Amino acid sequence: MRKFLQLFLALSLMLILLPPALQAQERTVSGTIISEDNKTPLSGVTIRVKGTRRIVQTDANGKFSIKVNPGETLQVSYVGYQTVDIKPDGGTVGVSLKTADNTMGEVVVTAMDIKRNPRELGYSVQKVSGTDIQETQRENFLNSLQGRVAGLTLDQTSGIAGSSSAVVLRGFNSLSLSNQPLYVVDGVVTDNSTLNETSSGGATNGLASDKPNRVSDYQNRIADINPSDIESITVLKGPEATALYGSQASSGAIIITTRKAKTNKLAIQYDNSFRFQKVTRWPETLDGYSGGLNTLPSNSFTRFGPAYAPGTQLYDNKDYFFRTGTAMTHNLGLDFGFKESKFRVSGSYFTQKGVVPNNDFKRYNFRISNTTKFFKNMLEIIPSFAYIKTENHKVTRSAGGFLLGLLIWPSTNDIRNFENQETGDKTDLFDGVSANGEYDNPLWNVNNNKGREDLSRKTYSLGVNFNPLKWLSLSGRFGYDTYDQDGYLFFHPQSFYVTSGTGGTLDNYWRHYEGYNHTVTATAKKQVGKNWNLRLMGGSMWQDYKTEMYAVYGTNIVDSVGGLLNAAGNGKMYLTPRDAQGIVIPGGVPAIITDKQLSTLLGNYMDSAVTRPLTRLRLNRNKFGLPNYVQTRQVAFFGEFAVNYKNFIFLNYTHRFEESSTLPKKNRRYDYPGGSMSIILSDIFASLKKGNILSYWKIRTSLASTARLNSPYSTQSVLVDNLASGGGYSYGFFNNNADLYPEKQSTYELGTELRLFKGRLSAEITYYNTLNKGQIIENFRLSYATSFVLNTQNAGSTRNKGLEIVLDYNVAKKKDFNWDMRFNFNRMRNKVVALPKNLSEYYIADTWLYLNARGGLVKNGPTTSITASGYAVNNAGQVIIDAATGIPTVDATFRVRGDRNPNFTCGWNNSFRWKNWRLNMLWDLKVGGDIYNGTNQFLTRSGLSKRTADRFVPRVIEGVLNDGLQNTATPTKNTIVIIPAYNNNYYTTMPDGEFIERDVNWFRLRDMSLIYQFPKNFIKRFQSLSAFITGNDLILLTNYSGADPGVNGNTAGGRGVGAFGFDYGTLPSPISINLGIKAAF
Amino acid sequence: MKKTFNKITCSVAAAAVLLLSSCSKKIDEAFANPNSLVRQPIETLLPGVIANMAIQHSANGTLYGPQNDGQYIGRFIQNWATNTSLNQYDRMGDNFINNSDVMGSIWAMHYYGMGKNITQIIEWGTEEKKWDYVGVAQAIRAWSWLTLTDVHAEAVILKQAFRPDLLVFKYDEQEEVYEEIKRLCTRAIENLSKTGDGVSAANLALGDQFMNGGDVNKWKKFVYGVMARTYHRITNKAALYQPDSVIYYCDLAMQTNAENTSLKWSNAGGSGTYSYWSPFRGNIGTLRQTKFIADLMRGVNGQFPTGSNDPRAPYIIRENPNGTYRGILPAKGGASAGLLLGDSSNNFWGGLFQSTTAPGSDANCRYVFTNAPIFPIISAAEIQFIKAEALFRKGLKPQALTAYINGINLNFDQLIGDYQTNVPVGMRISPTTRAAYLANPLVVPASASLTLSHIMMQKYVAMYAWGLVETWVDMRRYHYTDLDPVTGNQVYREFAPPNTTSTSGVNDLYPNNSGKLIYRHRPRYNSEYLYNVDELNRVGAFALDYITKEHWFSKP
Repeated sequence: MRKFLQLFLALSLMLILLPPALQAQERTVSGTIISEDNKTPLSGVTIRVKGTRRIVQTDANGKFSIKVNPGETLQVSYVGYQTVDIKPDGGTVGVSLKTADNTMGEVVVTAMDIKRNPRELGYSVQKVSGTDIQETQRENFLNSLQGRVAGLTLDQTSGIAGSSSAVVLRGFNSLSLSNQPLYVVDGVVTDNSTLNETSSGGATNGLASDKPNRVSDYQNRIADINPSDIESITVLKGPEATALYGSQASSGAIIITTRKAKTNKLAIQYDNSFRFQKVTRWPETLDGYSGGLNTLPSNSFTRFGPAYAPGTQLYDNKDYFFRTGTAMTHNLGLDFGFKESKFRVSGSYFTQKGVVPNNDFKRYNFRISNTTKFFKNMLEIIPSFAYIKTENHKVTRSAGGFLLGLLIWPSTNDIRNFENQETGDKTDLFDGVSANGEYDNPLWNVNNNKGREDLSRKTYSLGVNFNPLKWLSLSGRFGYDTYDQDGYLFFHPQSFYVTSGTGGTLDNYWRHYEGYNHTVTATAKKQVGKNWNLRLMGGSMWQDYKTEMYAVYGTNIVDSVGGLLNAAGNGKMYLTPRDAQGIVIPGGVPAIITDKQLSTLLGNYMDSAVTRPLTRLRLNRNKFGLPNYVQTRQVAFFGEFAVNYKNFIFLNYTHRFEESSTLPKKNRRYDYPGGSMSIILSDIFASLKKGNILSYWKIRTSLASTARLNSPYSTQSVLVDNLASGGGYSYGFFNNNADLYPEKQSTYELGTELRLFKGRLSAEITYYNTLNKGQIIENFRLSYATSFVLNTQNAGSTRNKGLEIVLDYNVAKKKDFNWDMRFNFNRMRNKVVALPKNLSEYYIADTWLYLNARGGLVKNGPTTSITASGYAVNNAGQVIIDAATGIPTVDATFRVRGDRNPNFTCGWNNSFRWKNWRLNMLWDLKVGGDIYNGTNQFLTRSGLSKRTADRFVPRVIEGVLNDGLQNTATPTKNTIVIIPAYNNNYYTTMPDGEFIERDVNWFRLRDMSLIYQFPKNFIKRFQSLSAFITGNDLILLTNYSGADPGVNGNTAGGRGVGAFGFDYGTLPSPISINLGIKAAF
Repeated sequence: MKKTFNKITCSVAAAAVLLLSSCSKKIDEAFANPNSLVRQPIETLLPGVIANMAIQHSANGTLYGPQNDGQYIGRFIQNWATNTSLNQYDRMGDNFINNSDVMGSIWAMHYYGMGKNITQIIEWGTEEKKWDYVGVAQAIRAWSWLTLTDVHAEAVILKQAFRPDLLVFKYDEQEEVYEEIKRLCTRAIENLSKTGDGVSAANLALGDQFMNGGDVNKWKKFVYGVMARTYHRITNKAALYQPDSVIYYCDLAMQTNAENTSLKWSNAGGSGTYSYWSPFRGNIGTLRQTKFIADLMRGVNGQFPTGSNDPRAPYIIRENPNGTYRGILPAKGGASAGLLLGDSSNNFWGGLFQSTTAPGSDANCRYVFTNAPIFPIISAAEIQFIKAEALFRKGLKPQALTAYINGINLNFDQLIGDYQTNVPVGMRISPTTRAAYLANPLVVPASASLTLSHIMMQKYVAMYAWGLVETWVDMRRYHYTDLDPVTGNQVYREFAPPNTTSTSGVNDLYPNNSGKLIYRHRPRYNSEYLYNVDELNRVGAFALDYITKEHWFSKP
């Protein structure tokens, strides 16, 4: 709060000291030009001060600003629209242009930063405005996209501050490679990787300890972008749209346009937001039984013991654990310039205290961009530079995380007494069990098993537009992006998740990314005759991305070594303070000391030097003092030929040639075509528009193929370290394939767009069908007789088809009241069409979170299946019951027992405007799709699930006995009565398939914002001022028994389909309330 | 206009061609994996292969090898049992119902752990004319084939083995595997006998530091040892068994303990440099010596009823707090019948019976249970016992007796030489105790009284805890409880498989065995059961009692 006050004062001071230039007679008028019939901004509209040579054009968002002297008139003109004159009286004007011939005037930014009129496009694109994103107040802008784009699925991994998110467009196509789209900022490809925890034994980049992408979370790097810098986002969903971007965009592309200076006069924008967060969603637990088995008490976390004695004191540990999360954002933007050179400088400060103790996230953003025009607009250059710094204090997730510990912690014990105040030791809940032998108290866990990550990133980009001739334009986009990321992941020697002999573990890493790419295009346009327009574009693209990494893992934190040898200090940390060499520090306190004391003695004790030297593992090249690195390079040449007839039939053909470093020489060059057609029926048959019902009708189709590349180096079987005596090398797990060729993905798309009732209702319907053939299946198992464990082949195929409907409806349109609604409907169907012969199941090991359920795939099954163990059944499908115990028997084979893909999803966006008030609400509906509730399985096995509430009710499990007759015509019906309370194996052996919840629906209020726009001149000097209150994730209506079905078991660093729909010890998104103001001067 | 356009097109095309070729070069530079290489010197491949003869530990894969599967085999042959009751392996069961890879680590050792590493040592060694390396690689592969088929019988992939290009694999017959072993042994001897070219003891020592230290003669003895084992497998096949061949190879194999093939650990690094059974790694906290070995060592087994402790007892098994030697029964744990209070033996790390946690140091550990023991693969004593059995079967009893006595003596020497360190001084073998033991006619009878039981049970003792696969082969040759045709007693006298130990009427044998004893391991689950289903069906490997199916080698 104090910081905010300081900032406020500083701002006030600036206002007072504003240069007098601003108060000159000549003033700047700015405004927005929109198309009247569909309320979309018009770009390229000419605004001229009548009788002068002062002319400007609107930008991609229909915005302009121009200098006007009192009494002058502005003339607004645009091809296809009626010209209007306006006499500006205030600083801002809004103009709606009436169409002259009902042609839509919208502009979208497509591949290669090319602005196109949507009527030309033979494929579907959807645009989200920066304002919509900013109004959600979400620091990771990806999290604001769910429900706003049909066919976009957001995969938010958890509610931990600094956690990663992923976006999937039109479902999963690739089984073992990335399904994430390409991110392009101002025409420059920008990195969105998430640190992958798996280094395959040091053979690639990752943690030296090889973790499975679920232990800790790492930000997905596109989230480094300051949401306030986003002008707009265009989502290119199909590969048709991205045929020009090449293989890395085979899962679609997200095109981000940043905000540029709107004026060369000084303009300041400031906004802030203060957030409060609370955990409200929580898996229900049964809290009535003490530890034990079969009703007999014992010192155990398993709650099948006797019921609590009356009057037992219970503690509300959940309340003691979570805190109210807070966050604060300040954004400052400055526009200024000199003549034809305009600058924009923006800065942002975001700081967050998560709902989990010791989980904090901070981000600093700075960005400067410039637009300069030379030679009467013949040449334009757009350089920019951005600097980002983030700091994240992390806690662990999933198995090993705090949540399972918190769930299983007996409420008869107060979690706040988690350590011995004198010794700093972890408190033993059950005396006599070694500290490592029992679950970590959640508070102890977040205080002692911790992680940290710091990042600093610089991105540079340069755009050049050169129009030497009327018919020819050249453009270039050059981008360089680099960051340094370093962090650690620490497990305390007394933690349940390490053995006492391990003496604690520490992973340290440093990751350095450098990416350069450029795209150069030349476009020639020609009109032939009166009706034909031709356009020819050619270009080339070069990409070079390199990620370097140092990582070291060690165990036996130096001081616990001393503890281990000392019988009294078994497993305790920091028994005797030692230096990095393990030598006892003279005068060190010979007792267990606190972290703080230790850091004064040892300095940065999260440095790898605190581990026992002989235990250290490093990445392969690190041992020679060199970083491991992964590099990919690609060159591409592409062309596009477009013909349009009378501006109502558009034909487009593209072709792209690529050469990529991940492939073997013989298969390295490949190419693919794309074609599309768009027909404006309403223009061809003008009679359709009679009666003012239909104003616009377009049909479109496109066909394209694209490629998807293998992981770098997956063509070479390599030798990894032998860690047994004698060292040297041994062949690794991977039978990497020297004959790989790119996956071929082909898609066709059909669509139509309609505008009805003077634009009050518009619809866009798209059907797509994607076949991905010759998929590169990485890491599938075969007989070890191959000499390997995991194999790689071009062998799989998937089919993915879907229907997307975007419906816009202007419900009410009055002078003071307006209500717009948008529906984004999405239905997808996916199927694994082929897998390598004889491979009965393919799975991504990271998704195997808990017991026997994983994201396994089988031929002809869905791409999003869950394979798991289940109850064994006979030929007639009856459950087979153990004849001795009366408990069902388990079929441990992983079979498809669930499909995570929903029947459909629908985003429902409402925006209301009443006088100066605006209310926006985004609802998100999901119908169908299964979830594996691992948390409930964990709770059931521990006697804590509500499912075990009727444990004393005697029952006979429906089924047949396994007495040899089970598969005959006359199986023996089970009549054995069991009372689970006395036979808790009934719960503890319950197979994973029983925890797959079917057809999980949700209807959630993702974001809701109420904004009040203060009247003009409410405060002098303020061009505009508004205040807002925004809620995130406020309402969740679901039939799911767990906390929140929208979680992911892995981080965004995983591959393939990943672990969405796997709920195991993951914290769901808390609810948030944000308050703030937004001002422009 | 048109000209200009053409000019532009041409220059763009020319520039593109130039650019493309320089780009192609830069792209090619980024192709190869910089972090891990596709080729390393063969000297650096051998250490991993050798370590795998006990237990693998690479950055990609650990725990493959006989020390892991041996935990279970040791229970079948009652070297040890579990400290708690009704352990499924004590009961000669497996973990098939849980889709487990347990008992599949020798499979992983052979095909993956050693697989391509050996193939490449042979291939690259041949290119580099390092015949000693080629010979060593062939020798280890021969041993590995034998170990594999000893455990998995005919359900092994021979002809199509080590083919990264195949998706499915055919199983071959055990007899064919033996032929391959013999072929490989012959090739190994040829290569180990070569000199010149790239052959160099100093260079071989680089990769062979933890086995034979670069001594090709010792490798040759190892090869002959493998041959002796192979020829001796088929004692039950009267028509095929050739005792002369066995004796021939025994005489070429290791004759002294100095010639033993033994693995060592550097004990100076990560856990991979420590034995799998070491206290450092803490894997065998639940294993306890059995009544069978304890009774043998304290002189109460009917075969050697000396009534006093074998001088070797403190070397290989553990005393209890009462200072005596007792053991547990399989599947009975600490509640084994006849165990008096305080008689429960210490664990293999010297801790109390109840303790399953590993001590911080191996100062009180003995034999092959220290952090970095000498771990025999084939010993000279073993060879003498093989020879004794072959001679006995040939009817040459006096010569058999000589070999038998040699075997016992070699075992005494081996224990004194390699395993004396942590044996308390007062408990060590003295020339007196040793002489007294050997002079006892109950141990060393007159040649006419020598029986198969004498030979097999002394062999059992001499190979205790390390010769697990070999002892299991022996016991299966005698179907665990075959009777000695001369004495009418069991060859393994008083050896009681789990089903017959029952006193309460409960059958201790694993229920899925259908009342039969274990004879084999299944092919590794995650290698075969999901990916080689047709072949598994052909050999019947989906049957719950598949593990009870007898091998070709032990059938008549």
